[in-house]
Order: sequence, then structure tokens, then C-alpha cells
Amino acid sequence: MSASQEYFEEKEKIDFLFYRGFRVTRVTENLDGAAVEFERTGAAGQEKEVLHLQTADARKYFSSILFHQQRNLTPAE
Amino acid sequence: MADLRINLAGIESPNPYWLASAPPTNSGYQVQRAFEAGWGGAVWKTLGEPIINTTARFAAVGFNGKKVAGFNNIELITDRPLEVNLKEIYETKKRFPNHAIIASLMVEPNREKWHEIVKRVEDVGVDGLELNFGCPHGMAERGMGAASGQQPDLVEAQTMWVKEAAKTPVIVKLTPNITDITVTARAAVQGGADAISMINTINSLAGVDIDTWNTIPHVAGKGAHGGYCGPAVKPIALNMVAECARNPHINVPISGIGGISAWRDAVEFMLMGAGGVQVCTAAMHHGFSIVEDMIDGLSNYLDEKGISSVQEIIGKSVERYSDWGNLDLNYRIVARINNDVCINCNKCHIACEDTSHQCIDMLTDPNGQKYLEVREDDCVGCNLCSIVCPEDGAIDMIELPQEQPPMTWNERQAVLAGYKDNEREAAK
Amino acid sequence: MSNGNRAFISLQDLQRNFDEVKSGLTPAEARDESNRCLYCYDAPCIQACPTGINIPSFIKKIASGNLKGSARTIMESNPVGASCARVCPTEELCEGACVLNDSTKPIMIGDLQRYATDWAIKNEQTLFKAGEKNGLKVAVIGGGPAGLSSARELALLGYEVTIFEAKEKAGGLNTYGIVSFRLPQKVSLWEVQQVEKLGVKIKTNTMIGRDIQPEEILANYDAVVLAVGMSKVPMLRIDGEDLVGVHDAIQFVEETKTKELSEAYIGKRVAVIGAGNTAIDAATCSVRLGAENVKILYRRTQEEMTAYDFEFEFAKQDNVEFRWLTAPKRIIGDEKGHVKQLECIRMQLGEPGADGRRGPAPIEGSEFLLEVDVVIKAIGQTRFTDLIESFGLEHQWGTVKVNLETYQTSNEKVFAAGDVIFGDGQGEAMVVTAAQQGKKTAYAIHQALKNSIIETA
Ligand SMILES: Cc1cc2nc3c(=O)[nH]c(=O)nc-3n(C[C@H](O)[C@H](O)[C@H](O)COP(=O)(O)OP(=O)(O)OC[C@H]3O[C@@H](n4cnc5c(N)ncnc54)[C@H](O)[C@@H]3O)c2cc1C
Ligand SMILES: Cc1cc2nc3c(=O)[nH]c(=O)nc-3n(C[C@H](O)[C@H](O)[C@H](O)COP(=O)(O)O)c2cc1C
Ligand code: SF4
Ligand code: SF4
Ligand code: SF4
Repeated sequence: MSASQEYFEEKEKIDFLFYRGFRVTRVTENLDGAAVEFERTGAAGQEKEVLHLQTADARKYFSSILFHQQRNLTPAE
Repeated sequence: MADLRINLAGIESPNPYWLASAPPTNSGYQVQRAFEAGWGGAVWKTLGEPIINTTARFAAVGFNGKKVAGFNNIELITDRPLEVNLKEIYETKKRFPNHAIIASLMVEPNREKWHEIVKRVEDVGVDGLELNFGCPHGMAERGMGAASGQQPDLVEAQTMWVKEAAKTPVIVKLTPNITDITVTARAAVQGGADAISMINTINSLAGVDIDTWNTIPHVAGKGAHGGYCGPAVKPIALNMVAECARNPHINVPISGIGGISAWRDAVEFMLMGAGGVQVCTAAMHHGFSIVEDMIDGLSNYLDEKGISSVQEIIGKSVERYSDWGNLDLNYRIVARINNDVCINCNKCHIACEDTSHQCIDMLTDPNGQKYLEVREDDCVGCNLCSIVCPEDGAIDMIELPQEQPPMTWNERQAVLAGYKDNEREAAK
Repeated sequence: MSNGNRAFISLQDLQRNFDEVKSGLTPAEARDESNRCLYCYDAPCIQACPTGINIPSFIKKIASGNLKGSARTIMESNPVGASCARVCPTEELCEGACVLNDSTKPIMIGDLQRYATDWAIKNEQTLFKAGEKNGLKVAVIGGGPAGLSSARELALLGYEVTIFEAKEKAGGLNTYGIVSFRLPQKVSLWEVQQVEKLGVKIKTNTMIGRDIQPEEILANYDAVVLAVGMSKVPMLRIDGEDLVGVHDAIQFVEETKTKELSEAYIGKRVAVIGAGNTAIDAATCSVRLGAENVKILYRRTQEEMTAYDFEFEFAKQDNVEFRWLTAPKRIIGDEKGHVKQLECIRMQLGEPGADGRRGPAPIEGSEFLLEVDVVIKAIGQTRFTDLIESFGLEHQWGTVKVNLETYQTSNEKVFAAGDVIFGDGQGEAMVVTAAQQGKKTAYAIHQALKNSIIETA
């Protein structure tokens, strides 16, 4: 599988979780990549998902989203 | 025509090109010939207690048929008495009052010795002093040159001693044989330096003769490390200049040295913060007349850009030089191959396939014509293919529209800190 | 003779045949070649250039990316340096002297020179500024390479210069005489423009001796430069010379540079008489006009031929046939007065004459007939003897006599340069020597008039 394909698959998973209203709660980066924990409180109560992101582009992608979410929340911006 | 005059820490010269302290500035005869050819200034061959040189002093490192990609020497400072040099400096200055003559100095780390030599050279009317804390061989074994230039406290102390006696601007010439040049640069500034210059030569061994097993060069079958300079050292020198130029604690002018062979190199050094440049190897390779194109090319470049004085370009690229952590991770370029220019050598393919990200496909069109195509989604934009491509214009590195707004590594780490257990703990 | 090798000649689009044959260096070629030059000190290539172009310097400037400086270095020494890049016999001059002949292969100096000047032409660069006016006036008669060079140098020295040029445009043979596929007119006209930009007035369509008299010129100018070159091709003095289809080579070439290309030569058989560069140019022009067969007839042998080697090679590539030791005796016409046949006679060489060349003599009874439709005469050029005499200048068979130091003629106010002082037996005239002589007249005039500048100032 090509590197971009791997990334697209990981990206799709990230996008899907965000789309369903999940938020990132915890990030653990280690030798194997990043474990990103997602949570949402919905009709079914507290739900939790963990993504193990391996591609560099996906690790860049989710952090970009967090970074810009935070930017947009900061009133000074 | 643009104004090429510079003023480096109060030292004025008709153009930014000075000969570096080295064999080209060994004598009055040579420096006067250089000024006639158009050089704007000269840093005299380092003065100090006259030394004895070996024969066999230089060696060049060739690359693919070019004889002087790099240059290596084991020469020491001047071997002529101070008195003789001073007389020639005096005569040269009299003949060329508008050209800059800077005396390069090297003595033992001893206050009185510095005071004495400073006084004697200033008496003949030099425009400035350059302290040689950089010679990496021979002199260093005697505790001078690079040996003292590698110790920030000695750099500071000696600069201070010189400043106590000096009336003309003092330039401290730094050695590159050190991990972080900004440390010694700051020491020089703290010692009161009016300017710094860099780089002196880099420790080197030019080669080994595989038949005789002698070093290159060798002196009666023995060798010792020398100092490396010439085109090969330019990127090292340029980085050191840039690092000093962007360091807020090093706020003195910089004289750029190292691998400058043509006007473009000079422009690059000046954009990166040098207030003027010094040249040694290029003059040794081709003679003094090369300065003609250096001046003409620079002048045409400035005219073309509508810039009226060369001093306007000094430091213009410095703010673009930063830490890796401040680079935008979301900036994206990819390679694109222009098949009408490509000559099908397949070098880009194999470079990418074997040593990068396997994203240049070798394809055949319906007419049986071979062509190459980059899978842009997989291309990491490393530039390798365009570097190995022999044909101008066959590969363009194209900027893609950014999918995500800019984000640097530092910004990323800052935001992720809020999501990481260990760092959350630490913050508490 | 087969037309097989001549596939590149288009009979549909003759104009295409007259496009410059040799393409310029690509940037990559120029980079590689310029970096190969050793940047010699006291370089022999400079010595071998009649105008003394600082060749290592202009090449270094190409390597360093200073193309404007490179073009200026070239044009500084040679005001027609863009034309020379194309028409100089470089293998006999600069390239022949390159030190690399003894180690690898010589630097392609001409091609690099073209690269730099092409850049200046393309980027519409102005390379020089006129000197401060010194109040003196010079008339230059003839706007060819010699006249332009003289005018350029004089303008830099502050003289007010007027060029009088008989033709519609200046540039001399560079504009009208050297075939387009070797030297496109626009190159020569750019050089003219460079000179005009220095404030030199060029009065075209003005022939001295016809429109303005020599006395008037002599009276109104502080000095005069005579640079009128040479005139038409002389008569062969054989029967049939006035038949339709007999041409003067120089006029023949000129028509291909000034008029719409004639289709009248397609499929024709052409005989060119003579073996200098003019003959070769006429022959290759004929080929490009679609002639089916082109022969050059020369009464001596290849040894004595004055055309440059590169020209000879060029003609051979164009399938031009060479008939050595052959002289024309009579041109025979048909009933309509058109050329039909050329009667020739074989020659043999005798002992070397005064000029060192062996004289040809006809072999009795060796006459033979060639079937031809066109005869082009290219046996040298006549002189403007009348004009020279109306200036009262000493001359020998129409070659103006000058002091070789100063280029001063027998009238101390009149200087002469270029083909007008080019004598017989000196091989072929060259653009580059004309240019150098033009420069020298300017310096000599300055030397002679310098003092009066100080007086008037
Ligand atoms: C066909 C041909 C091919 C050639 N090929 C080459 C070549 O490849 N390389 C090379 O180096 N040389 C070549 N030459 C030679 C070269 O062209 C000449 O040596 C050179 O042009 C001489 O320069 P000039 O200025 O003396 O004369 P010209 O170029 O002849 O210029 C004289 C000018 O004076 C003008 N003039 C004449 N009479 C008057 C008057 N009474 N009043 C006003 N103006 C007048 C003419 O119209 C003309 O413009 C060739 C010549 C010919 C004919
Ligand atoms: C043969 C030789 C001798 C040198 N001697 C001195 C010297 O006496 N003092 C000094 O400060 N630098 C000396 N240098 C270093 C040069 O001044 C310069 O810093 C170095 O060569 C880098 O510039 P370049 O790449 O233009 O040659 C010497 C260099 C060479 C090649
Ligand atoms: S360059 Fe050559 S000749 Fe000159 S001193 Fe050095 S070794 Fe001797
Ligand atoms: S390296 Fe350049 S020229 Fe060679 S195949 Fe690739 S694109 Fe074409
Ligand atoms: S002789 Fe050849 S190598 Fe030397 S400067 Fe001239 S062109 Fe360059």
C-alpha cells in the first residue's frame, strides 16, 4: 500500500470521529507513533475510541486540527 | 551604477571585496597589484613573531574534474619581520589612501604582547585590526590561533587587551573548529570587538596517496592536519555568518569569509548579514583579476533590482533564517516532471525509488513512448529528484495549496502538551 | 546529382531555408562550456582576436551569471561583436589559439560570444553611454563594420559623429552581404542601434559623391573616416554576360536579404564563378532557393581557394559541387536571350606569382560545355576608385593607401578603414579586421585632434 493510501485511511478515521462529535482528550506519543484518545458524551453515555496513528501525515493532521481549534477559541485571535 | 562602497564598523572601502589574510596579502607588491586590479581592501597576512614554514604547504581537493573544489593548507602566519611588513603597509596605504588595509595580528595570549603589536601597526596607519583566533594548525599547537579562539574566556580577554590599546576598529576573526560559533562570537562582543569575521579554515586532511600511503600534502613523508577552505566550505561559513547575524546578543557587523568565488556568493553572504566579504582561495586559483567580474556582476545585479547602494542588501535574508521548530509543517511542495524537457535518463526515478519515497513511476504511453510521472500524493517534496536531474527545467517543485493553515513544530508541541499525561503532570 | 541529402531544403517554404542554420547554445551548454575555460593569464586567445576581446573575462561572466557584463566586455572591444560571433573564422583566430588545443579541445569561443550577445539583444540592453561632447565633428562615410566601429569609439570619446550611408540601412555587408542563414539581419541592425543610441547620426540613402560632394564633407568636419568598403563584382569580360540569368553574387545575396524570396530558382542549374566566401554564399543561397544543382567553378585548385574552411565545409554539406581548374569562356543564350550553356576551359597551374599563388593558364583545346540556367559571378569586388579620387587620396588600383599606424590617408584629415584599404593577395577580407581598423581610426583622430579640444574648451 502506498504511503498516501495509509494516510488517507487514517485521516478518514480521524475525520469520521470528529464528524460524529468526538473530541480528543489525550495524546500519547511514543516510538510507535501516536495514540490519540477520543471521547464523546452522547445518547449512549460516555463513549471512547482510541486511534493508533502511524503515518507522519496523520500525526500532523490531527495536531493541526487541534492547533487551529485552539487558535479559533482564543479570543485574542 | 549602484554605490558599492561599504562601511564596516567604521572601516570604509570602495567595494565590499577584501582579500583575506593569506598568501595573496603577503607583501606590499601583492596588495598594491590587488588594489590596481580593483580589490576594495586587504587584510594583511597575519603579523606576529615571524615563523618558519615547511615546503609542501597546500593541497587541493578536486571533484569530478574540477581541480579546486576545496583547498587545504598547512601554512603559518607571516615569515617576514614586522618592520618590513610595516614599511610596506605604510607605502601601500600612501599609494591607496581610499582602500582599506587591515592588519591581521596574532601573538601569545599576553596583555603586554598585544599592546605592543597594536601600537606598532597602528603607528603606520592601518584602517583596522583583525585578531587571528583561527589558524587551526601549527600556531594552535603553540597556544595561539584556534587554540585561543576555541576558549571563550581567552577570546574575551584578548579582545579586551587589544581594545585597551587600539584606536582603530577591532575585528575578531573566529575559528569554525568549534561546536557553536555564537559562543565565541559573543565572547568577542563582550570583550569589546567592533566587528567579527568568519570563517578561518576548518581542520582537514586533504587526502592519502594510495600508492605511497603518504598524506596529501606530506613533508618528507609526514603530514599534519591543515585548514580547509575554498568553494567546499561556503555552506558552513554561510551558516555561521547567519547564526551570528540572527543572534540578538551579537550586534556587531560581520565580515563574511569562506568559499566566496564570485559575485553571487558575495550577495548571498551580504543578504545573510555580512557587511562585506573576504576572499582567499578564489584569488589564489585565478589571480587578482577575478575581482573585475565580482564588481561588475554585483553592480549589474543591484542595478537590475533597482537598488542604489550595496549596503541596502545587508541582512535582508536574516529574518528568514530561523530554528527548525519554527518551520511550517503544513507547507507542501511536490515534484512535477515536464516530459517535453525530460531526456529520460531515469536518474530521478532511481533516486526516489532507492533512496527516497518510491513515488516516480516509469510508464509507457500508447505510442510506446516512455515517460515518468510523480505520484504527487506520495511525494514528500524532498527535492532529491530535482537535485539529481541533469536537465534544467525538467523537474519543477510545485507549491500546493495548503490543506491546513500553517502550524510549526513548536506550535504543535505546545498544543499537544495540554493532551499529554506526563506534560499535564509536569504543568501541575 | 542526387537530392537525397538535401531533405532539409523546403521547396514549399523557402523562407525556412534562410533561417539561421546553427542554433545558439542552450543555457546548460553555455554553463558547461564556460566553466571549461581555464581563465588563462595573458591568454593567447585574446592575442589572436584582432579586436583583442578579453575572452577569459567574458567567458567567466557567463559562468558567473553576469550576462550583461559579458556582453559589455565583448562589445566594448568589438562594436560588431554579435555579428563576429557568427561570421569570424574562429578556428583561424581565437579558437585556433586556445591553449586547450594542446590538451583537450578548444573552447567554443564564438558560440559563447553569441550566447552572451544574443542575451543582450533579447533583453534589449543598452551597454554604453556616450562621452561628454568635446565640440568636434567627424564624418564617417559608410556604415559597415569599419564605419560603425569608428563612430562608436568616437562617440564614446565625445565627438559628434555623422555616418553617411548610401543604402537604406546601415551595417554594410553584415546587413546586406552575408547570407541570412549565417547572419540574420536583425543582429547587424541591433549593432547599428547600439551605435545610434550613443547619439551618432546615421544619414541613410545618402551617397557621398552623388548626394553630397566630398568638398562639402571636407569643409564641414574636423576629420573624415572613409569606410565605404568595396563595390560590385567586376565583369568577367566574356561573351554573354548580359544574358538574362547572369548575376552579380553580391547583388544576388542582397536580394535574398531585402526582398521576398524568388521562386525562379527552384529546380534550376546554377554555376557560380569564383571560390571566395562570396562565391560560397552565392552557392549556398542558390541551394536554399531550391536550385537542383549548384557548381562552383574555380580556375585554380582547392589550395588557392580563399574561402574559409568552415565556409567550404558548409558548402559541401549543402551538396555544392566544386570544379577546380575550370574557367568560363563564354555564356551561351537561347533564342529568348536566357542563359542556356556555359562554355568552360580547363586550366593548369604555373609557377607561383608575385603574391605567392600559382597562376592558372588555359589548356589549349580543352573546352567543354555545361548545361546551366543561371551564372553567378563572384570573382572579387571592384573599387570605388572615382570616389577615392574625388577625395584626392593616393591609392593603388583602388586600394586607399594609409599609414598603418594611424590609418591616415594622403590627406591628413581623412582616415580610412575596412575593405577600402584591403589590398589584393591578402586572402579574404574580414568583418573583425574592419572593426579593429575602425577603432584605430577613432584613436588616431583623437590623438590628432586632442589638442584642439583643449584649445576650444
Ligand atoms: C558575400 C560575403 C561574405 C562574407 N563573409 C564573411 C565572413 O563570413 N566573415 C568575415 O569576417 N567576413 C566576411 N566577408 C567580408 C566582410 O563582409 C567585409 O570584410 C566587411 O564587411 C568590411 O567592412 P567595411 O565596413 O569595410 O565595408 P562594408 O561592409 O562593405 O560597408 C561599407 C558601407 O559603405 C557604404 N557606402 C559605400 N559607398 C558609399 C558612399 N559613396 N557613400 C556612403 N556610403 C557608402 C556601403 O553601402 C556599405 O554600407 C564577406 C563578404 C562578402 C561579400
Ligand atoms: C594558504 C593559506 C594561508 C592562510 N593564512 C592565514 C593567515 O595567516 N591568517 C588568517 O587569518 N587566515 C589565513 N588563512 C585563512 C583565510 O584568510 C580565509 O579565512 C580562508 O581561506 C577562507 O576563505 P576562502 O574560502 O576564500 O579561502 C589562510 C588560508 C590559506 C589558504
Ligand atoms: S607556485 Fe609553483 S613555482 Fe610558485 S612558489 Fe609555488 S611551487 Fe614554486
Ligand atoms: S532526472 Fe530529469 S531528465 Fe532524467 S528522467 Fe528524471 S526528469 Fe527526466
Ligand atoms: S586560451 Fe582557451 S582556455 Fe585559455 S582563456 Fe582563452 S578560451 Fe579560455
